[in-house]
Amino acid sequence: MTDEAAVNSVPHGEILMALVGAVHGGDASEMAAARRAVRDSMGDAAFVDACATIASFSAVVKIADGAGIPLEDFKEEATRDMRAELAINDFQS
Amino acid sequence: MTEIEVAGEMLPIRESLLREVEVAWERLASPGTWWTGAERLAIAAEARRAGDCGLCRERRAALSPYTVAGAHDSTSELPPAAIEAIHRIVTDAGRITERWILSLVEGAEMPALEETEYVEIIGVIAVLTGLDKLHQGLGLPPRELPAPVPGEPSRQRPAGAKRNLAYVATLAPEDVGPDDPNPYPVHGDKNIHRGVSLVPQEVFNFFDLDVELYMKDHEIRDFEHDFRAISHAQIELIAGRTSALNGCYY
Repeated sequence: MTDEAAVNSVPHGEILMALVGAVHGGDASEMAAARRAVRDSMGDAAFVDACATIASFSAVVKIADGAGIPLEDFKEEATRDMRAELAINDFQS
Repeated sequence: MTEIEVAGEMLPIRESLLREVEVAWERLASPGTWWTGAERLAIAAEARRAGDCGLCRERRAALSPYTVAGAHDSTSELPPAAIEAIHRIVTDAGRITERWILSLVEGAEMPALEETEYVEIIGVIAVLTGLDKLHQGLGLPPRELPAPVPGEPSRQRPAGAKRNLAYVATLAPEDVGPDDPNPYPVHGDKNIHRGVSLVPQEVFNFFDLDVELYMKDHEIRDFEHDFRAISHAQIELIAGRTSALNGCYY
């Protein structure tokens, strides 16, 4: 499944991705527009939980990368073909 | 549900999330295991400044950050190795290597940083990142750092910790001693839970907050129930894109 197909297969996927991108990029006007779109389409409680999820995955990367933890075996197994296709293991530090 | 004020509007927010946000701020300001409350807040302040560091910008742009020497833009009184660790974790965590961590803890280029001190820095930055990103997403300015809570760090290193999983020593569930804080029964024992387990309190500090930002371990694969105002699919879509933008492939 392509990125676009994955986004489109999830209700409100596109506006959620716009919020993620805007918060990551940090542009004030883009963030304001993205916030309004999520709030108008999904409601304020959904908006708050979307922001909380962005916060979680912005934070947990610091632990994963800072400590250098490896993938669990079950994740490694599940992603073996994808990693081989991307040759991503060639970039291990 | 309770409410949080954002730019004059009241938004609904889970009470449990708001509670853990307050707990996280209290813990950031309190004596940790290896750093005092004042030092933990100095780490947080330095983390917030790191994005404006010229050396970090140069390193980010370089093919390898390890080819660019120089001094970080900092006015902090923290040890140089702590400044180096903070700036790298904040601005270029994806290219951290085991060799770089070893150089910090062995004092190859500057006075050594204890491995335990390095791990606690990771914990402080992870919690601060979660708190600040939540504010940024909602449209709130970063919260002012609180006053430090006086007291001394407990300085208790788990005797059973070993360097056999990650770039740093970690504490396996079977090696938790009777005097060690044990976060595994509460939060689970996947590799991500073990990342900062050399300082077990930091596992509590991060995951007590994170299970409210994201979900509890047992909720993640419980597709029969929704635990948030957005669906599992929406949560995982956000998670995947956020991780990709942060260069995290864990």
